[in-house]
This record gives sequence, structure tokens and C-alpha cells, in this order.
Amino acid sequence: MAEAASRPEGSRGLFWTTLVIVYAAIMLFPIFWMASMMVKPNDAMFARPTQWLFVPTLDHFSYVIEQGFHWSLLTSFLLCTVSTALVVIIGTPAAYAFARFEMKGKDDLFLFILGSRMAPPVCLVIPFYLIYAKVGLLDSFLGLTLAYMTFNLSFYVWVLRSFCRDLPVELEEAAALEGWSKVQIFRRVVFPLLRNGIVATSVLCFIFAWNEFLFAFMLGGKSVTTLPVSIPKLITSQGVRWGEMAVVGMTALIPVLAVVFVLQRHIVRGLTLGAVKG
Amino acid sequence: MASASETMTAAAPQGAGMRERAWYPYLLIAPSMITLVVVSLAPFIYAIYLSFHEAKFGRVRDFVGFDNYMTLLTDERFWNSIGVATTFVFIAVPIEFMLGLIGALVLNQNVRGRSILIPLLFMPTMMAPIVVGLLWKIMLAGSWGFFSYNVLERFNILGETSIFASPDLALYALIFVDIWQWTPFMMLAFFAGLQALPLGPYRAAAVDGANPVQMFFHITLPMMTPLLAVIGLLRFIDAFKVFDTIYILTNGGPGITTETPSILANKMTFEFWNIGEASALAVLVWIAFFAFCSIFYQVAKKRLNAF
Repeated sequence: MAEAASRPEGSRGLFWTTLVIVYAAIMLFPIFWMASMMVKPNDAMFARPTQWLFVPTLDHFSYVIEQGFHWSLLTSFLLCTVSTALVVIIGTPAAYAFARFEMKGKDDLFLFILGSRMAPPVCLVIPFYLIYAKVGLLDSFLGLTLAYMTFNLSFYVWVLRSFCRDLPVELEEAAALEGWSKVQIFRRVVFPLLRNGIVATSVLCFIFAWNEFLFAFMLGGKSVTTLPVSIPKLITSQGVRWGEMAVVGMTALIPVLAVVFVLQRHIVRGLTLGAVKG
Repeated sequence: MASASETMTAAAPQGAGMRERAWYPYLLIAPSMITLVVVSLAPFIYAIYLSFHEAKFGRVRDFVGFDNYMTLLTDERFWNSIGVATTFVFIAVPIEFMLGLIGALVLNQNVRGRSILIPLLFMPTMMAPIVVGLLWKIMLAGSWGFFSYNVLERFNILGETSIFASPDLALYALIFVDIWQWTPFMMLAFFAGLQALPLGPYRAAAVDGANPVQMFFHITLPMMTPLLAVIGLLRFIDAFKVFDTIYILTNGGPGITTETPSILANKMTFEFWNIGEASALAVLVWIAFFAFCSIFYQVAKKRLNAF
């Protein structure tokens, strides 16, 4: 190690950095390619050999707007916001309780929550479909909001609990000795410390809901169409509308792009269900 | 009332050292647990109920006992789907694992600009699976897709058709897409693990004159094993339920060469409307998942001290 330290660090760092940049560029190339298809005329899209230069067009955008795709965007946005907000309201106290208190059958409850999170959505969609058909929740905003709770509420409680466990208990104990009520302790001690965890976890919930396809496709579809569901709809009987799909696909990527930059380390923690603290 | 709560307090473990009321934690978890019972347990129980009934075209008819299960278990298509999923998972996950580990080790060198590179690397994992499917539908489409034309055709792997229409190659194309999508997850999870390793053992090894390869096998790998196991298991579970990308890329085709249990269950429900049998399939998959989940939970809890 002493030898390594005496070597110029800069050149080695440059080598590894370049390697990672090249790797990232290759891996992300399909995304750039799709982005270029947003403004690519149809004849250039099908060109063989690959045509790198073309006169940009806005046709795909206008078609997509004609088809009322901005309503899907709005639906997606509202649906994800409402379902995430509900998850935060219902889930935060539960996550806190699981982190702080002993309860009977806690391990079983945990496994139940984990099971809800991990269950293959395709298994859930069958009973959901039949139940919704009976109670008239098919193709409704409320129906999808509820369905999203299955994976997002369980995820939220599970991950936020790991954030709660990082909080020092002593502050709460001190507040309790001061004679603060439990509600006061939660609002004035726990909540401010937990805010980052709540933001990170709920943003991930938002993204999961944003990306969700199967529920939105099977339980919604006509009056409630989310962004991911509007993508396969562009495979029409007159052919596949590639440029339009690219527009919708890239729109769906925007919040994801924002989130990966803002959340950074928290993503690993979220995706590993708190097993790895990023 | 006061004395009753006092005796309960005395019996209850002192969670946060506060004066506990035994019902307080239950009150906090009640809204979540009730919601989850409604949106998760109830559908599961309903699926069990359906799986014991003849249910076609949305109408639930007679109780048929284990008939749906017997039909399913003697159906070659069911076993085919298990085989497809097994092939998919056992090829995709180990490759993602190895590439992820290598990537994490590279990232752990003195790479500059990580705060920009890491989010970018995360894109494939974080984006909607349906968009992942779309991307590769574009790249690997027919004879004009960028990748089909510039790579596959040029190296004579495939001529005029899309790789997703080839019975021999479609599954491997899906595996490739899964690797593209999930390697970043493995890489960044492992990287987070590497970053959390203590430096002490490395300093000691350096004093003893150990080379980097020795350090990797004698220090890094042993310390990382629990994390590697947990992440591998998690990915393994997740890979089994892949649906969106397969749905948009092949929907199980050509024929049934890429039909996983998820795709089969979906077809049984929404194409054949054979809901009884689809529910039986769902219940079996569910039970298998639950078993995997409890293994994951135990391993993560004991070996990684997580949760």
C-alpha cells in the first residue's frame, strides 16, 4: 500500500473514471437512441443502414397530444400523489411502532408485510379483478389507489422502520421525562429527525406507482389510463407508432431521472428493503 | 383503569424506556394492518377460494376440490413455464451477480464524479419496466432495430426477423434485457457494501505485504458474504416474478418458449378466462414466494443484522 500511495493517484483515478464513463455511455445508449426517436421522421427510423442525421420533426408530439396523452400524464401524476400521500399518513405511525415497541407476534406481522411486498402482482391481479368487478371499482381512480397500497404500504412500513431504528432513543426518553405526551414526542422529536427518511421512502413509493403497469393495465385502462398503460396502446392495427412511443417513454423517464439524482444513496437502501444502508 | 394499565406497564418490556400503554403500539399499526388485510390478505384468501371452484368467464360455479390443481400439475404448459422461469433466473441472476460484483469493485477504485455517475448508472433499474421493454423492442426490433442491424445482422447471428421471434433465441434476448436492467442494482448494492467495510483489516494486510488479489479473497469476500447472499436472494426472488418486460417484448412467444408462470397466469385469466385454474397457479406461486421470503427474512436478519 505504501508503494501504491507513492504512485501518482491522479492517473489511476483517471483510468477508472474513464472506464466507468465509457461503461455508462454504452449502457445508457438505448435511452439516447429512444430520445432521438422523439424527433425522428418515420422514414429515417426504419432506415437501413442506420441513419445518424435527419431533419427533426415534431409530428410525434402532436399526434400524442391529439390522442389526449396529457390526460394520462395527469392521471398518473394524481394517482401516484394520492396513493403515496395515503401511504405516508397510514404507514408512518406503523413504521415507528414496529421500530420502537415490543408487540405480540411481531415477527409474523413482519413476514406478512414482507409477503405483501414480495407477492407477484400477477397473483394479486386475478382476485382484485373479480372483486372489483363485483363492487364496481374496475377502471376507477379509487380502485387503483387501493391496489397500489398492496405493494407500496408494505414497502413503506418496511423501509421506514429501518430509518426509525437509526434514531437515538435517548431523545424520546428525555422528552418523556419532561412530561411530553406521546403525540408531542412524535410531532416534535421523531418527525423532524425522520423527515429525510420519510421523503426518501415516499419518493420511492411514488416511483413504484409511477412505473407500475400490470394493475393499471388490468384494473384500469379506459377512463383511468396511466402513462405506462398508454405505451402498448400505440401498437395499433395500422402498425407500431415508434416515435410516439418514444415520446411517452421519455416522459415517463423524467421523474425517474430527477429522483435518481436527488435520492442517490437512499435508493440502494430502499431497493434492498433496508438490508443495505446506502 | 389506572391500576390495570400500571400492571400492564410493569409486564410489558420497556421499548423506548417510556411509560408504555400496552395498546399504544397496536393503535399505531392498526390502520396499516387493516389496510393490508383488505388489499393483500383478502385477495389471497379469495384466490384460494377460487382455486377450489370451477370459475370460468368471471362466473364462479361448483366446488371442485383439488381438480384445478390436478389439471394444472398435469398440464405440460405449467411445467414448461416453470422450466422457462428457472432457466431465466438461473442464467440471468448469476451473470448479474458477477457483473455487479466486478462493477462494484471498479466503482470502489478512486473513481471521480460518483455523485453524477451513480445516479446515471441506476437509470435502467429505476425506470419503468414497460419502458425497458420498449427500449429493447426498439433496439432489437425486426431488421431495422439499431442493435439488430448493427450487431446481430452484421455478425450473422440473425437475419431478417426480430430476435424475439426466434424460438431458440427469444428467451436469451429476454435474459439479456434483464441483465441490462438489473446489473446496476447489484453493482450499486455491492458498492454500498464495499464502502461500509472497515479499513483496519486492509491496513493490517498491507503491512503483511498482501497483494490486492489476496486482500479480495481473504478480506473483502469473507466480509461481504452475508450481504452478497442477501442481495442475491432478493434478486432471485424478484427475477421469478418478472412480468412487464416479457409481456411487452414477447408475451410468452414464440409459441410458449418464453412463457413464465406470471405470463401463463395472466393468459389463463384474461385470455382463456379460466379463473379457477389461474387462481390455483397464483396460489402455488404465492406459497413458493412466501417460502422464499421467509428464507430471505431469516438470512437478512441473522447474517446481516438487518431488520
